[in-house]
Amino acid sequence: MANLILDPRDQRFVLYEMLNVEELCKAPLYADFSRDMFDMALNEAEKFAASAIFPALAEGDREGCRLEAGNVFVPKCYHRCMQIYREGGWGTMSVSPETGGQGFPHVISVAAKEWFSHNTAFVNYVSLTEGAAHLVEVYGTEVQKKKYLPKMHASEWGGTMALTEAGAGTDVGNLKTKAIRQPDGTFRLQGTKIFITAGDSDLMENIIHPVLARIEGDPPGTGGISIFLVPKYLINDDGTPGKRNDFTIGSLEEKMGLHGSATCTINLGDNGECCAELLGEERQGMKIMFQMMNGARIGVGIQSLSSASIAYLHALQYAKERLQGSSLMEMKNPAAPRVSIIQHPDVRRMLIWMKAHTEGFRALLYFAALCADRCLATDDEAEKDKYNGFLEVLTPICKAYCSDMGFRVTETAIQVYGGYGYCAEYPVEQFLRDEKIASIYEGTNGIQALDLVGRKLGLKKGMYFMNLLGEMGLTIAKYQPALPDLAPDVQAAMNILAETAMLFAASGKAGKFLIPVANAYPFLMLMGQVVTAWLLLWEAGVAKEKLAAPDGGGADKLFYEGKVATARYFIKHVLPEVDAAAKAIKSEDVSMMEIADEAFAS
Amino acid sequence: MNIVACVKQVPDTEAQIKVKPDGSGIEEGGIKWVMNPYDEFGVEEALRLKEKNGGEVTIVSVGPQRAMETIRTALAMGADKGIHICDPAFDGADAYVTASALAAAIKAVPFDIVFCGQRAIDDDSAQVGAVLAELLGIPQVTVVTKFEFTDGAVKVIRPIEGAQLLIECPLPCVVTAQKGLNEPRYASLPGIMKAKKKPVEVKDAAVLGVSTEGKAKVARFVPPPARAAGKIICGDGTPEGKAAELAKLLREEAKVI
Ligand SMILES: Cc1cc2nc3c(=O)[nH]c(=O)nc-3n(C[C@H](O)[C@H](O)[C@H](O)COP(=O)(O)OP(=O)(O)OC[C@H]3O[C@@H](n4cnc5c(N)ncnc54)[C@H](O)[C@@H]3O)c2cc1C
Repeated sequence: MANLILDPRDQRFVLYEMLNVEELCKAPLYADFSRDMFDMALNEAEKFAASAIFPALAEGDREGCRLEAGNVFVPKCYHRCMQIYREGGWGTMSVSPETGGQGFPHVISVAAKEWFSHNTAFVNYVSLTEGAAHLVEVYGTEVQKKKYLPKMHASEWGGTMALTEAGAGTDVGNLKTKAIRQPDGTFRLQGTKIFITAGDSDLMENIIHPVLARIEGDPPGTGGISIFLVPKYLINDDGTPGKRNDFTIGSLEEKMGLHGSATCTINLGDNGECCAELLGEERQGMKIMFQMMNGARIGVGIQSLSSASIAYLHALQYAKERLQGSSLMEMKNPAAPRVSIIQHPDVRRMLIWMKAHTEGFRALLYFAALCADRCLATDDEAEKDKYNGFLEVLTPICKAYCSDMGFRVTETAIQVYGGYGYCAEYPVEQFLRDEKIASIYEGTNGIQALDLVGRKLGLKKGMYFMNLLGEMGLTIAKYQPALPDLAPDVQAAMNILAETAMLFAASGKAGKFLIPVANAYPFLMLMGQVVTAWLLLWEAGVAKEKLAAPDGGGADKLFYEGKVATARYFIKHVLPEVDAAAKAIKSEDVSMMEIADEAFAS
Repeated sequence: MNIVACVKQVPDTEAQIKVKPDGSGIEEGGIKWVMNPYDEFGVEEALRLKEKNGGEVTIVSVGPQRAMETIRTALAMGADKGIHICDPAFDGADAYVTASALAAAIKAVPFDIVFCGQRAIDDDSAQVGAVLAELLGIPQVTVVTKFEFTDGAVKVIRPIEGAQLLIECPLPCVVTAQKGLNEPRYASLPGIMKAKKKPVEVKDAAVLGVSTEGKAKVARFVPPPARAAGKIICGDGTPEGKAAELAKLLREEAKVI
């Protein structure tokens, strides 16, 4: 393999051998596409990633962002990435052709983004732009679409998502930014937003901020929030950027990682002149922003997949090269030759653990994206609902399970490197620093767990969740004959998942709300493990079929055997954690609530 | 202007090459195939020439079915149409046969200038461009690092040891591209969408009327010899002892002192 970003063979395996994404091309929506076009796009993504985005990773980390005279300057090397991104049309890969995009299936654009997202500090600038453009596309008036979309689609103007305030992080409903109604129907904003990613930069000619605020007189809480478009430069009648809007960048955060990504405090309307246009209807701000947040949560999953993948491949390469110690078989012979550390069982354990998780994330995120495509590609309402249901239930898993476990993969990469991994001279510590944010932004993982347990499990009276279990059951039954030692374990874990969900429902009915609420996070992780086991079993089943073919898997024999071994490792060594988690939840112990605040420390 | 660019599909520079056990070629499974990097410079220059002067860029490639991917990549970069010379009889063709096939295909279309890479990174023979020019009966400028087209003539720079040659050449001619000529563009997504609809003609040896009989015969493929294991010098353990042994080995075994 030529790069240490991701394994293209595994990417192709998931897309074509496991998920059969070419099937999509039979739908009229994707009839213009074919596998060779998908491959060509992914080849270009790989070239772009290897030659520009990856080299900008460490350089961007060292250089960081600067705030000078109110303007933000990003690392210099990002400009070349931006130019290639723009010229390549990557910003509209999955935007429909009617709206000026290329109309690729989402599963292919997720695969392309996997190439880029190891450098999330850079990617944030463009992905927020795409999310914001999507909001304008769906909720904007014709005038707004004409004014903003072409430039945003061309990645010439940027976008952000501006929710957070000092007193309104998780609790967005508590925000204080106010919108003052003007006689002409527009608004003036006043308030302070913090932590706004890409809040300013010299990458884009203009930036269109979707900002959450409360119109004066509207009720408190999330129900009173509206969303506004706030351009950095107001747009002249001829469409060009004009007068600077009345807001300033107060400061940039000094952060643990993601140094190339500008995290901005934005002071809106110090002179009472911060012009804003309502997007969509009044008091619909949260609902509208959720459209963007759902996409962004999948985006955080992709970030985590990419971080895990690049960390795993670096650790693997290092483990093959680093000589230390001798073979276990020669323990007593001081003159035994030094071996590469990949020969040591504990290092192999770490590597296969990283491989299993990384490949599980990949299958999960591609599957989720394929659900979005299937949903778009069919006219059949029942099928639409089925795939939409999968996506709804899996979104918190994509975000939270992948980010927490992705972080642990980056941590394990440092462990494989030993002391060198802890040193900045080697690349792995940056992977960990850049990945940590993924469990925090776009709704902390604690909040994702509450969303899963409090909302997603109960959608359509639990049908979406049950449908997903049904889908898992089909896979298990299909591969039971080929994988008789693995399929029953996955079935048993799936039963535990179902029982635990039922326990939550029963606890809720019995008024014991603390059981599901205090255990929401362990439940999410449990479900993440069951979902991963299901997907890895599926992969192993496909691999078994290839190995059983007359050519025995041909040149890819070892690859397929690796797939089966990886699934076995996960199912035999990681999946049993599900039993422990379920046991803890079933105990109905709520000591975390019983302990007095004063008793946490004296 | 009618511009032709010749491209070859080759294994990625970072591909792990394995020779088949019988020495008849290389194992193709698992290899990533790409456009020969020197040909990319040629395609890029062809596109720039078209963008400046108008006209059409035709991509010509000799290769098996998979070479179509490389032609499509060039079309996605912005070329207009392709000719794919595809015939099992050309498998393993030498430089002369390849150039004859290219010449036959190019003669059948109007052309003012032909771009090639200065060499292909797989067999490194660096002959096809030159033979092609001979067969077309037109001048050639090779290993070019700078290209200009003004007043109907081509002006190029060709580096030679310690100096550069500035060469002028009339059209039609063959230009072979060297690293440094330009920075090839990436294929854009809209380009990929359009490439699918651009015409590619497929031709075989019979249609072209060329002989597939080569001038060179490949005897056998052999991998380069594996690097021999190193030697650790222990001597009697003292620095002096080690140095003495090293000196002895350098004189007696390596025979360098
Ligand atoms: C680098 C970076 C980039 C960011 N980019 C953006 C951006 O572009 N746009 C934007 O709007 N925001 C952005 N944010 C803000 C980010 O989304 C918030 O930090 C996050 O939502 C958490 O809010 P908080 O920091 O105020 O933490 P808090 O809300 O104070 O949370 C602290 C802890 O309490 C927990 N908690 C809080 N409330 C509850 C509850 N009800 N139930 C259970 N647990 C709870 C949380 O899970 C967390 O563990 C960014 C932040 C950072 C650091």
